[in-house]
Amino acid sequence: MSKIHEKVLSKHKSEAERQVAASRHREPEASIIYNTKHTSKLNVLKSIADAMIVGDESNQNDPNFKAMKRDSFWVTQLHFIVFKILLISVYFVFGIFRYFQYQYNKMRLRVLNIIYNPTSTPQLIRQDVLKLSKVPKRLAAILDMKPIGEVGGGVKGIVNDASEIVCWTVSAGIKHLMLYDFDGVLKTNVQSLRGEIAEKLSLYFGPTDTPNFAIRIPHLNKVYYNGADDENYNAKSEKVIIEISLLSNRDGRETIVDLTRTMSELCLSHDLELSDITMKLIDTELTQLVGHEPDLLLYFGPALDLQGFPPWHIRLTEFHWEADNDQVSYLVFIRGLQKYSTCKINVGK
Amino acid sequence: MTTISNKWHTTLTDRIYHPIINFKHSIYGQFNVQKQNLFIWIINLWLVSWLNRQLQSIMINIIKTGRVPEHISFIMDGNRTYAKNLNMPIKKGHEAGGITLLSLVYACKRMGVRCVSAYAFSIENFNRPKDEVDTLNNLFADKLDEFAIRAKDFQDPLYGAKIKIVGDATMIGDEMKRRIKRVEKITQDGEDFILYICYPYTSRNDIYHAVQRSVEQTLNNEISKDEITIKHFTENMYLESFSNRCDLLVRTSGHKRLSDYMLWQTHENATIDFHSGLWPDFTFIKLYLKLIKLSLYMTVQNYYETTFLSSEQVLRKKAEYYNKWRGNINLSSLPEPPPTISIVGRKS
Repeated sequence: MSKIHEKVLSKHKSEAERQVAASRHREPEASIIYNTKHTSKLNVLKSIADAMIVGDESNQNDPNFKAMKRDSFWVTQLHFIVFKILLISVYFVFGIFRYFQYQYNKMRLRVLNIIYNPTSTPQLIRQDVLKLSKVPKRLAAILDMKPIGEVGGGVKGIVNDASEIVCWTVSAGIKHLMLYDFDGVLKTNVQSLRGEIAEKLSLYFGPTDTPNFAIRIPHLNKVYYNGADDENYNAKSEKVIIEISLLSNRDGRETIVDLTRTMSELCLSHDLELSDITMKLIDTELTQLVGHEPDLLLYFGPALDLQGFPPWHIRLTEFHWEADNDQVSYLVFIRGLQKYSTCKINVGK
Repeated sequence: MTTISNKWHTTLTDRIYHPIINFKHSIYGQFNVQKQNLFIWIINLWLVSWLNRQLQSIMINIIKTGRVPEHISFIMDGNRTYAKNLNMPIKKGHEAGGITLLSLVYACKRMGVRCVSAYAFSIENFNRPKDEVDTLNNLFADKLDEFAIRAKDFQDPLYGAKIKIVGDATMIGDEMKRRIKRVEKITQDGEDFILYICYPYTSRNDIYHAVQRSVEQTLNNEISKDEITIKHFTENMYLESFSNRCDLLVRTSGHKRLSDYMLWQTHENATIDFHSGLWPDFTFIKLYLKLIKLSLYMTVQNYYETTFLSSEQVLRKKAEYYNKWRGNINLSSLPEPPPTISIVGRKS
């Protein structure tokens, strides 16, 4: 039923990509380790002290807390203070442990970075991949835009990271790649992304033999071929080596709700019956609107934070990330592929 | 047969004399203890479990003074491997898993967690051999009855808990449906705490069900089609008001995937924790350590969110201030600058 597909797309076209970063609530661990200001030990101490003195308002609706108030005031207060002090000391012990764990992880990543270093050579990457028994058919990656002041931050940084991943994927022989970023920065900067990918690919494969690629934005139903707009380029006759889809938060919950709205519209005008809505129909529509389910999802942050990746599409997807890592580096990519080659999926068994 | 039972015995007594003992192992071990040791063993068991209980309640009181997540979810994976490792029938593995879940639910309730959900049975699990599905069903029904009795007993720690069985109801038999209805009815007055058992459930089915319900509501003119928003859609899902987010999802036995569970709930702002051990071994202390970690992170994050404004918020606040107090500034309304004099020295 392409009618539904068209209707949802026409809805999408009328609106611009929104910026929702301000309303965003991140996963606690990832947000703390990512933000260098937060990892400062002094600041962590400050926040614990603040929580102790000011108290946490989150407990106020807790029924147990209410029940405690029924006891005598002083007994309750004494209990509370003793336990709070114990909690703070547990936090301290954990904090010290976590500090050493963080340093150990960083050290490990540094060593691994030396071991797995592709130095822009497709042969080396292919050699790494040849050792594996299987590779995923579709790969997805979640990227973060770092603040502009940092190394590898800003739009330039994320575009550079994205094109780097594209080159690794091409070298590994995987044909489908999904790139996700929360705000849709890659979507809005698709032209500079095209240029950057073309440049990086020519660095990897030489300027004469650059592989052809296609960038798809499913939300706007647009496809771009290769680096620059070429009049003579014929998408059908030339072989596209890699298909890249760009996704953002917009493709997640909102697309599913849009689909529901369209379906109810069609039901009201009797173009569609309620009994026609099946799981299969929703699946095919969402596949058209967003893409296929990826087999492996790579995250280049310190702790798994899915950031609103389309929920329908992560059903059986394997996740891979490296603890306390904050760079887009080849070691995450190749170790993810290695993990994937050893895992076995048995649905329901 | 004797060799097998001896093997149970050794592995289990090791566990029992471990300071943080789990009471459930006693039910397998007690038949194998020789008679003359029985008395000492019972005293020991009583003492250790008493200590264990005291320690646990102190730990719970400690974490209660900090932040705890609102909604915790479990994927109970590894029951069968557990049974195989101990050379027991698969049914025993599931039983042990059920006991683990109940003890964790009890601890969560005391900590002030509002909602626990657990993946009891996937729609895909109907692919398993029929006798295993049947034993699972029977076990499940028995556990439900037990839970209902405990939730009504005011001396029991589970008193005041509400239980709901969510999932695709068309796939279960009438007998089972009747039992589920009865249990839900008995516990419907619970307010403080709710336990969702997902049976038989997959998350795609959940989303599909919400789509269907939303469309149905527009057809019945309960809402207009523009009223279908993310919020409204989420409320149509199985977990009702807890469908929006799940603060902590724990999956045991080391697979790093969601297996069609809680996709809508965990794809935003959730902490997903993959634990490498098996589910029956996932004891209170392991959950506790994860919660301490999360509690610290939540405290720090909350401090930054409430104390410091992000740069965007600062800019917005500044703009608001200008709009409110200053209005737009016209360049010509500014006072004249001092006369411009070139270095050559002449007034232009």
